[in-house]
Amino acid sequence: MCIHLYHHTLPHCYRCQSYLFCTFMAPPKAVTATSIDTSDPQTYEDQHVHSVYDQIAPHFSSTRYKPWPIIAQFLSSIPTGWIGLDSGTGNGKYLPLPLDRPGSIWTIGLDRSRNLLSIAQNAGGVAREVIWGDVLDNPWRHGVFDYAISIATIHHLATPVRRKAAVKSLLKSIDPSHGRALIYVWAIEQDTLSKRAVPTGEDDNGTDGQDVFVPWVLASQTSKTNSKQEHTEETDKPKESQVFNRYYHMFTRGELRSLVENAARDIGLHIGKEVSGARGVEIIQDGWERSNYYVEIRRWSTE
Amino acid sequence: MVRLITHNLLACHAKNCTSNNFPLQFKDIEIELREAEFNPDFIRGFLPKLEWKALIDAAKQLGDTSLPSEQPEMIDDEFLKNLHHVLLEIHIEEGAMICPNCQHVYPISNGIPNMLLAEHEIG
Repeated sequence: MCIHLYHHTLPHCYRCQSYLFCTFMAPPKAVTATSIDTSDPQTYEDQHVHSVYDQIAPHFSSTRYKPWPIIAQFLSSIPTGWIGLDSGTGNGKYLPLPLDRPGSIWTIGLDRSRNLLSIAQNAGGVAREVIWGDVLDNPWRHGVFDYAISIATIHHLATPVRRKAAVKSLLKSIDPSHGRALIYVWAIEQDTLSKRAVPTGEDDNGTDGQDVFVPWVLASQTSKTNSKQEHTEETDKPKESQVFNRYYHMFTRGELRSLVENAARDIGLHIGKEVSGARGVEIIQDGWERSNYYVEIRRWSTE
Repeated sequence: MVRLITHNLLACHAKNCTSNNFPLQFKDIEIELREAEFNPDFIRGFLPKLEWKALIDAAKQLGDTSLPSEQPEMIDDEFLKNLHHVLLEIHIEEGAMICPNCQHVYPISNGIPNMLLAEHEIG
C-alpha cells in the first residue's frame, strides 16, 4: 500500500498518482523522524499502527484500490489450485487477483486491524476469507500455504527482532518444498519527487534504515463515513481535520534482502540454489520499485 | 469469513500447544449458506492439501454428509461440486473454535475468526 505524501503544488499525489483524495486533504504534513521505545514494541505498535488503521480504515481503504505491477505479476504467475496467505492484507485489495482467472487460486487475508478486515472480507464484491491475527504468529498447519505475500506490512514493526520474526513466520507458513513468497516494504530511497519529504536524521547511515512517523490526515467534512458523527456536532461549523501519525521503519538498500537471509538462516535454511540433502530458500528477485524494496523467494527441499 | 476451506488450514498456536492442536472444534455456531462460483480446476488442485478426515468431521458437524469418508480415486464432477459446496458455500458467521488440546477459544464474530492471543499465551 502506498502512502500519500501529498503536496498541493503538485497536480496529483506523487505516491499513488491520484489527485482525487489530495483535494480533500488539509495542508501537507511532512514525514517526521522518530525514535521508538524498544522496551515495549508491541504496545508502541498498538498505539502507532493498529489503533491508527482502525480509526482511518474506511478513508484509507478508499485510496487503496490499484494493485502494484510486481505484485500483480507475482499473483498471475501462481498456478491454479494453489492456496495463499496475504499477511497484512489491509483492505484486501490483492485478494481478488489474478483478475483474469477469478477463483483459480485462494488468497486468505490476515490483518491486525479489525476495521480493515470488515472491508477486506468483501474485497472485489465477492466473499473473501479473512483472519484477525498477528503477522508474528502462525495459526496454521505449518507450511500449508503454497504462496504468501506481505505487502507494506513488515515496515510497521518497531524493532529489527520483530521484523525478522515476521519474516520467519512467513517462511514457515509456506510449503517447504515449493512455497513462494513476495515481501514489499517502504524504502528510504524515495523516487525523485518524494525525496524532499523524507527526513535525513542521524540514524540514516545507509545501513539501518530510518524510523519515521507518516501522517494520515482525515478531513471530517469530506468523509462520508463520518457523517453520523458530524450531525451530532454543531452542523454548520467545520470540524478540524484529524492527523494520525503512523509508525514506519523505512528500509535502506540491501536491508530487506539481508533481513530475509538472516530469518532463513535462523530457521536452518540454506540460502541460494538447490543443493542435495538440504532445505533452503532461493532469492528469485529483489529490487526497488516506486519507493519500495521487494524480495521474491522460493523454498526448496532436497531431503 | 470462516468457511471450511479456512478451517482446514487453521491450528491452535497458543504457547506450548503443538500436538493434537488440529482441527479446531466448532462451538455454538450460526451458519449461512451462500452460493459461490464453481471453479473445478481450483478444487482439483487444492485437493492434495486437504486434511480429509478433518474436513469430513467438520462438514458433518455443520449438517453436510455429501462427501465420502475416504477421498475417492475417481474424481468426477458431482464429487467436485459437493466438495465445492462444503469448502466454499457454508459460512460460519458466529460462534467459536476450540482447541482439542488446550481448550483455547477462538471466537468468530461477523464471519471473522479472532486468532489473536493474549501476551502470556504467545509461544
